[in-house]
Amino acid sequence: METAQSKSVKHFPTFCYNCVSGPDFMTVKVVDGVATEIEPNFAATEIHPARGRPCVKAYGLVQKTYNPHRIVTPMKRTNPKKGRDQDPGFVPISWDEALGMVAEKLNAIRAKGLTDAAGLPRLAVSLGHGGTPSNYMGTFAAYLAAWGKIDYSFGSGQGVKCVHSEHLYGEFWHRGFTVASDTPNARYVIAVGANVEVTGGPCAVIRHADARIRGYKRVQVEPSLTVTGACSAEWVPIRPKTDPAFLFALIHVLVRENGLAKLDIPFLRDRTASPYLVAPDGLYLRDPQSGKPLVWDEVTATAVPHDTPGARPAVAGCYRIGNAFVIDADKERREYSDVEGRTAYEMLSRHIAKYTPEWAETICDVKADTIRRIASEYLEAAGIGETIEIDGKTLSLRPVAVTLGKSVNNGWGAFECCWARTVLAILVGALENPGGLVGTTVRLNKGRDNRHLSVLPGEDGFMVQYFNPTSKDEWQSSPATRNLHQTLVPIVGHNGAWSQALGPTQLAWMFQYERPDDWSMPMPTLPDVWLVYRSNPSISFWDTRHLAEIAARFPFMACVAYTVDETNYMADVLLPEATDLESTQMIRMGGTKYMEQFWDYKGVVLRQKAVEPQGDARDFTWIATELARRTGLLEPYFGAINKGISGVSSLKGQGYDYSLDPADNPTSDQIWDAVCRASTLTLSEGREEHDLEWFREHGFFAVPMSRLDWYLTPTMEKQGLRYELPYQERLLRTGRELGRRLHEQKMNWWDEQLSEYTALPEWHDVPARWIRNLELAGAKAEDFPFWLLTSKSMQYHSGGNAAIELMHDVAQNLRGHAGVIINAKTAAGLGIAEGDRVEVRSHIGATYGKASLQQGIRPDTLVIVGQFDHWATPFANTMDAPSLNTVAPMTLDLTDATGSGADIVRVAVRRMEGRAAA
Amino acid sequence: MTRYVMTIDLRRCVGCQTCIAACKGANATPPGVQWRRVLDLETGEFPDVRRTFLPMACMHCANPPCEEVCPTKATTRRADGLVAIDYDLCIGCANCVMACPFDARSIVHEAHFSYGDQPMPSEATGFDPARIAVSMKCTFCKDRIDEAAVTGRMPGVHPEVTPACVNSCISGAMEFGDIEDPRSNVSRLLGETRHFRMHEELGTEPGVYYIWDQP
Amino acid sequence: MKNQAKRISDLLSPRQQRNWDWRAATNFIAGGAGGGLLLFVSIAGLEPDVARAAILLGLGLIAAGLTCVWFEIGRPWRALNVYRHFATSWMTREAVAALVLFAAGGMALLTVQPLFVVLTGILGLAFLYSQARILAANKGIPAWRHPRSVSLMVATGLTEGGGFLACVLAMASSTADVRLLAGLIALIVIRAFFWKMYLGGLIADGAPDGALKVLRDIDSKFVLFGHILPVLAIVAVLAGMPGRAGLVFVAGILVVAGGWSVKYALVRRAAFTQGLALLHLPARGRGPAGPAAKPGWKPISGTGVG
Repeated sequence: METAQSKSVKHFPTFCYNCVSGPDFMTVKVVDGVATEIEPNFAATEIHPARGRPCVKAYGLVQKTYNPHRIVTPMKRTNPKKGRDQDPGFVPISWDEALGMVAEKLNAIRAKGLTDAAGLPRLAVSLGHGGTPSNYMGTFAAYLAAWGKIDYSFGSGQGVKCVHSEHLYGEFWHRGFTVASDTPNARYVIAVGANVEVTGGPCAVIRHADARIRGYKRVQVEPSLTVTGACSAEWVPIRPKTDPAFLFALIHVLVRENGLAKLDIPFLRDRTASPYLVAPDGLYLRDPQSGKPLVWDEVTATAVPHDTPGARPAVAGCYRIGNAFVIDADKERREYSDVEGRTAYEMLSRHIAKYTPEWAETICDVKADTIRRIASEYLEAAGIGETIEIDGKTLSLRPVAVTLGKSVNNGWGAFECCWARTVLAILVGALENPGGLVGTTVRLNKGRDNRHLSVLPGEDGFMVQYFNPTSKDEWQSSPATRNLHQTLVPIVGHNGAWSQALGPTQLAWMFQYERPDDWSMPMPTLPDVWLVYRSNPSISFWDTRHLAEIAARFPFMACVAYTVDETNYMADVLLPEATDLESTQMIRMGGTKYMEQFWDYKGVVLRQKAVEPQGDARDFTWIATELARRTGLLEPYFGAINKGISGVSSLKGQGYDYSLDPADNPTSDQIWDAVCRASTLTLSEGREEHDLEWFREHGFFAVPMSRLDWYLTPTMEKQGLRYELPYQERLLRTGRELGRRLHEQKMNWWDEQLSEYTALPEWHDVPARWIRNLELAGAKAEDFPFWLLTSKSMQYHSGGNAAIELMHDVAQNLRGHAGVIINAKTAAGLGIAEGDRVEVRSHIGATYGKASLQQGIRPDTLVIVGQFDHWATPFANTMDAPSLNTVAPMTLDLTDATGSGADIVRVAVRRMEGRAAA
Repeated sequence: MTRYVMTIDLRRCVGCQTCIAACKGANATPPGVQWRRVLDLETGEFPDVRRTFLPMACMHCANPPCEEVCPTKATTRRADGLVAIDYDLCIGCANCVMACPFDARSIVHEAHFSYGDQPMPSEATGFDPARIAVSMKCTFCKDRIDEAAVTGRMPGVHPEVTPACVNSCISGAMEFGDIEDPRSNVSRLLGETRHFRMHEELGTEPGVYYIWDQP
Repeated sequence: MKNQAKRISDLLSPRQQRNWDWRAATNFIAGGAGGGLLLFVSIAGLEPDVARAAILLGLGLIAAGLTCVWFEIGRPWRALNVYRHFATSWMTREAVAALVLFAAGGMALLTVQPLFVVLTGILGLAFLYSQARILAANKGIPAWRHPRSVSLMVATGLTEGGGFLACVLAMASSTADVRLLAGLIALIVIRAFFWKMYLGGLIADGAPDGALKVLRDIDSKFVLFGHILPVLAIVAVLAGMPGRAGLVFVAGILVVAGGWSVKYALVRRAAFTQGLALLHLPARGRGPAGPAAKPGWKPISGTGVG
């Protein structure tokens, strides 16, 4: 036992941001200079929704610090050959040599020009999961900003491991880059694959636990009984990838069986495009004078522009319109006279008529009665008409939400799901109202720390949208990035911080080895220099064996490395960073952010050096500053820092100026000291100023925030704007334009994706796409009779911590960890027993692991939790754990219109020789 | 009289294993040794299946069979309800391991570390040779409880004197306190909820209460 | 080193205990028989040399068992701490019994004085009883804590002692008289009775499926080889069949082997832990609470636990 008298014991407040659901507070206990323990930071109990507690991953950070497999000195490759079968021959070098090698390559780029002959950036940077790296890379963001054009195309799972379609459509419809239930007020949640108890972080966990005690009901709709399913009141084991049919049927029950009278008519009428009149050609009928979409005014019984004062637009019905016109793709105008206009709601109602629960039952394998009951429970729980007072303002209380999970809200079928669940919200007035479905942050629009600021009037009474242009003049026919995000995906935009990285990142990888026959754009090149941080695409993307081969072809690769891993195995230079407990950085906290990160406070929190870095690992801010110095970018680098790329504000503001002058050679501590001071002054509106030393003692600074900021609807109301739902006229037009542009270039390889641009989504056989894919590859569908899915684990999700022994130790208590989850009866039929080593084979390869027999999974489905199958990462490479990523193909036909794909593949499973020991 | 007990609200637990990781850090237990576990129990048959997360550790019984069988008096039941082990007396006979119906005890015969034979600095700092080859288990973080007696702080209320697992629990499933004090958080919670103790029929009078519903 | 995942079933269901291996089992196996043997030596009225041999065997068996245990405990150099808890610990009491037993046994060996021989016999019984109570005090192992395990352990220890005595007499060419052979038959019948009582009681009261399977599997073999065959051999002797010494020896060995095999099964293979039990599965929000669960156990009628 520890004898406190003889030892120096200190506690350092800091944060964990290993996943997107951070930051969470924690305290590092340091005994005689050695970090020994992670504890919550109870000083943050009041301001942090999770009461100052981090999740299990944070407790692995002590081991992360002292892991003997860490790279703690810069290294260079001595084997010029690259590949999985080539020992890189890394040897230690000095920081001077390492940074010299990187700077030399970067300076060569600057000398040649930032883009190459194909118009593509010569520098590519890959950062890992969901923006988490930027919370660890010190001022490196300022370096990247100083550099100029960078290609972020080579993703490590963006579009695949994220909730891609939700990001894009969520932000489009309600500024919801991530979408959540307003759990603190929720009464009924339908979670379609959303595994929030695992991925939502401590904030979500405590909120849902409180909600359970309060008596809310959550229905989990998912092929396997995940942790979230386990904690739900009901589990509905739906057939994989048939979620759109289930959701369509819910809409059917609400619209067709309950009818408009039971829905939230004022919300539909005033806050959505439901009353907009649609011409027979599917486009909005517009007022001949103003060009505005028409609605039918029940007061005057005439068609009037949607924003006519005093009008009471009809939500449902068909009306004769004297004169009107429509605007089609490329602004083509068509005139109509004496035309029948149907309201958008009417269009929806007719559209949804065929999607009955009985129809859905045949698709989803969910009983029609169950669907009908769930829809009715949802409607009843919505409590239409109820209100709640928040900070003196009365808002509608609509405590129901449909949340979507990964592989439901990305890939084919995801558009339908995102649309359907948002429509389900508007039908009962639950979109962006207390208790309902809320977006929590924006990333494709400016104003990333206050999404309300991005709500500005745009076209047709909707919010402004910054689509990538598809007009003849402006369409980007020669891609500026290797994932073609501006060329192919209008909705991802080019304006937001993340627009580029949210493009179809698998295209960047795929097009390096294979392009469509009718490709007529410049051939994609490899970047001269590839920088990688906190990212391991050779494990976390698809077809990973193949991807590693592509990574081996990059001419120069520098990785900020923790241990050797499957991606940096191909690197030329490895740079060891001071990790979580060894480094300093200030980040924003609170406000409204990803997942269920909507707080009653906002502020900043400091990560601080609790222990000295191991070996010669260096703080990332030092690395960034050194690179800036060696590449002649000190001016713009400090310019970006001064503009406030870190913290919450620029370093110069009203009544203060902490701007840094490169000539003064500011140290890392001086940089963060300035950020601390500027941030506190800004947050406190000049009342308080705290320096770095203060933060080292106190850890964070927060100011209260109104819960009104959680909900967008009051802001929409204030500006008289409507949500662009349920009818998708803009998407219809945009798709037509994009099709024309591509076809003008004689390219038809994106035609399948163009089919997704519809005003009202139709069911198509989504699962069949994966079967067609393997048949196209020459395989037989009957040889691969199972669906293989994946699911996340809190112990590993986004932590980059597969090398941490503690995580493996504790994760083993959970069913299916590091194994292949299979229905017990199915396994019995195949002669597979618990613990048997099994092969899971798709048409592109095989992965191996131990069978975990369970009842809580559909008989036609297998699940592999997490993403393992490591072959280079120390410790992880001894786990003998399987991965879906090894056997999931990366192909164009499985890419949807947003550039997204899903974690699903058809497989066969068989027992390997030898029985598991009894 | 004081009797410290723990309540675990099964309705809240999500099986995240945070309490185990916190316990391992606070008590520097070797790899593979978990003084507490959160088990993942599946019951029923497809599609009528339930999955329940069940935290298990020493129940700090009022009538502890481990104490009864211990030939050395290494295991004792303290006046405040904690069942403690004196590592310097224990001979590692494992009788107590067999006596415990909760599988709460373990014996590690050789030092081993997370990454092989050599301890990391953090492991070296926490390593206690007295715990090799003797019986060990959850202590309810007794050093913290002892600290409470000195400082006057209240276990279960003040984190410094509350078990690490309770402090760490992100779902709020665990509470700790004096069940003899009607005003304590555990007394209040048990008064408001339906609960049971595991293997109560064995007469050990466990000090851990599982909450499963409300009246 | 492979860091493969553990099997979840090991964590959830009763599993075989892993702390007492063959060394601990040897203590119960050999020591119990030794105690039984010493008891019978004390009442059999043997020739001094035969008595010495039997006492030596009895003490040797107990010593062997305790030595094995000494090698098993984690801190052997603290072994004397075992004497600290006489008030409730049967392990302390066993150790005390052993200590006094060896003192008395030593004197008995030297002097063959009836006082010491009888005292040794009584202490042998005390040692055997203590061992039985050690097992029964372990609430963590349902197959041990059943109250009928005590009578079974004592009965088999005594029967094995009788078996050993028969072997000693056979080897010493001493005449095992009819009373002794009848007594052995009686012991065998009594052990069979307590075995069946134990097994029946365990099945009726419930135990982990794994434990019941092990014990059911050995039932018929134990009855046949440990009881029926030795009884037949003794009956043959009593009926005047030739090869009297050999038959008695074989009967004795079968009795001992049967007892040892059942004790090994009990201490090792049937020693499944209690596992876990939930009287109710929790309500999750508005979902209802669930029924009781007790993995690895047969449902118990009336309680709904299963």
